[in-house]
Amino acid sequence: MSKMTDLTVLREIDPAARIAPDASIGIYCVIGPDVTIGSGTKVNRRVTIVGHTRIGSNNVIEEGCVLGAFPQDLKYAGGPTMLHIGHRNLLGREVTAHIGTESGGALTRIGDDNLLMDGSHVAHDCYVDDRVYLGRSVLLAGHIRVQTGARIEDLSGVHHFVTVGRFARVGAHTPVRRDVPPFTDFQSFNHDWQSPPTVCGVHEAGIANANLPKEQERELRFALKELFVNEAALQTKIEQLVNMGVEGEAAKLCEFCLNSLQGVYGRCRELYRGQAPPESRQPPSPEAGIDIRRNKQ
Amino acid sequence: MAEISPHAIVEPTAEVADDVVIGPFCYVGPKVRINSGCRIANNVTLLGRTTLGERTEVFPMSVIGAAPQGADEDDGECVMGVDNAVREHVTIYAGANKPTLIGNHNLIMIASQIGPGAHLGDHGIFDNCTKIGAEAVIEDYVRMSGFAAVGEGVRVGAYAFVAGYAGVIGDAPPFAMLQGFPVRVRGLNTRNLKACGFSDKDIHALKAAFRELFNGRGSEVNCDALNRLAADAGANSHVQKLAGALKTALAKAGVGDVQDD
Repeated sequence: MSKMTDLTVLREIDPAARIAPDASIGIYCVIGPDVTIGSGTKVNRRVTIVGHTRIGSNNVIEEGCVLGAFPQDLKYAGGPTMLHIGHRNLLGREVTAHIGTESGGALTRIGDDNLLMDGSHVAHDCYVDDRVYLGRSVLLAGHIRVQTGARIEDLSGVHHFVTVGRFARVGAHTPVRRDVPPFTDFQSFNHDWQSPPTVCGVHEAGIANANLPKEQERELRFALKELFVNEAALQTKIEQLVNMGVEGEAAKLCEFCLNSLQGVYGRCRELYRGQAPPESRQPPSPEAGIDIRRNKQ
Repeated sequence: MAEISPHAIVEPTAEVADDVVIGPFCYVGPKVRINSGCRIANNVTLLGRTTLGERTEVFPMSVIGAAPQGADEDDGECVMGVDNAVREHVTIYAGANKPTLIGNHNLIMIASQIGPGAHLGDHGIFDNCTKIGAEAVIEDYVRMSGFAAVGEGVRVGAYAFVAGYAGVIGDAPPFAMLQGFPVRVRGLNTRNLKACGFSDKDIHALKAAFRELFNGRGSEVNCDALNRLAADAGANSHVQKLAGALKTALAKAGVGDVQDD
């Protein structure tokens, strides 16, 4: 940090907050008493971090972010629920993330190596896994799971209890009301209620990022083609694929689609309405974080 | 004595009640009045002739009473009722010609914008990134979903639900579920009516009226049905209200063959 900023003491950090010695906090920041900030994290100017918020190491949090505020949910009773942010995330300007609600698992979690662009919002009880990209002003409603490597483009809004699958892509300005299957490209070209957004193809960049073995990739492409060229009779086609004995990613895709069909309005997480989802009890995966480096080599 | 952070700037002429909490880095302008029980978080800017009712909660980074874009004076008026929650990054503009009025018990979520001179009722919920145009009127118990926008001078009827990404560019009827751009009536907002304690009889009457009034696509009103419902003095009071609102809307838009009363 420059000497100029060091001399300016216009920031309000609660003495009870646990901040690593090499984390840097910009001017006009407000840090609450129950906040933990890990080493190497850079918090820019005018950032507010309150609530029971734990931020890992080497994150960059840009101007105007508000993290750990109360959920925008009428059922929240004011309890000490949490927001966990992992390592090496970049939170753009004016990103907001809220703490969880008591009945929804009491935890909002953002994993590692995520890129949250300006104005995006992660609501209460959301689980954003690793290497996720949220575009500008993307709104995640409550209780959402965004799985590893998913990409949600600018101005999209995601409905409560939706799951966005691994390495899927949601196109810009898309209202997502049902689960997005992994490795697919989900878009809408028309906001008329008579033509809701659908799976429009395969997310090629997602498949490339996933670094699948050749055989698995071939099987996955076959399964995607079988299931989504025409989404009619999805359940029958899933059963056919399972009977064929598909393995690996293709089997996971079938399981994901089957779960969505068993949910409410195509959202499998609706089954967790009013109770803590399994993610709130699982510790973050141990391999989280090393993934991106392995890919870069 | 009000609990004002030493890092906040409160102009000496601002009226601040005794039990108000004002966080650090706030600016409270000279003509602002803050009533008791208000909690203002950090980095909030209050400008113009703004009045905050009792127990208003303002979250970080919000601006209330901002001068309309393009206006150079900081003299507009904004009056807020009691028990409102204004979340992070919200901008509420002050009206220069007529005041921005916000009722009671509203929840205005992150990054919403309320235009100058807009008039919000009570018990509304406005989701993230909602844009309400200048001098728009939003009646009571309205629910608006993410990215929804209301045009300038447009009226949204009571108990309506505006779906995500909807663009309301003409007056919208009460009790309706509205979706799309331009907005269409998708049906009766039964869920909200039940939550607000409407009887089954009222809901059935409204449902029948909606079925008569709107065609399959919900884009235009059946004027014959509207005239018949409006003329029926014995109709359900809510149906009469719906018919009245639709007649006003059609007269304002200058379309349809509607009989004058």
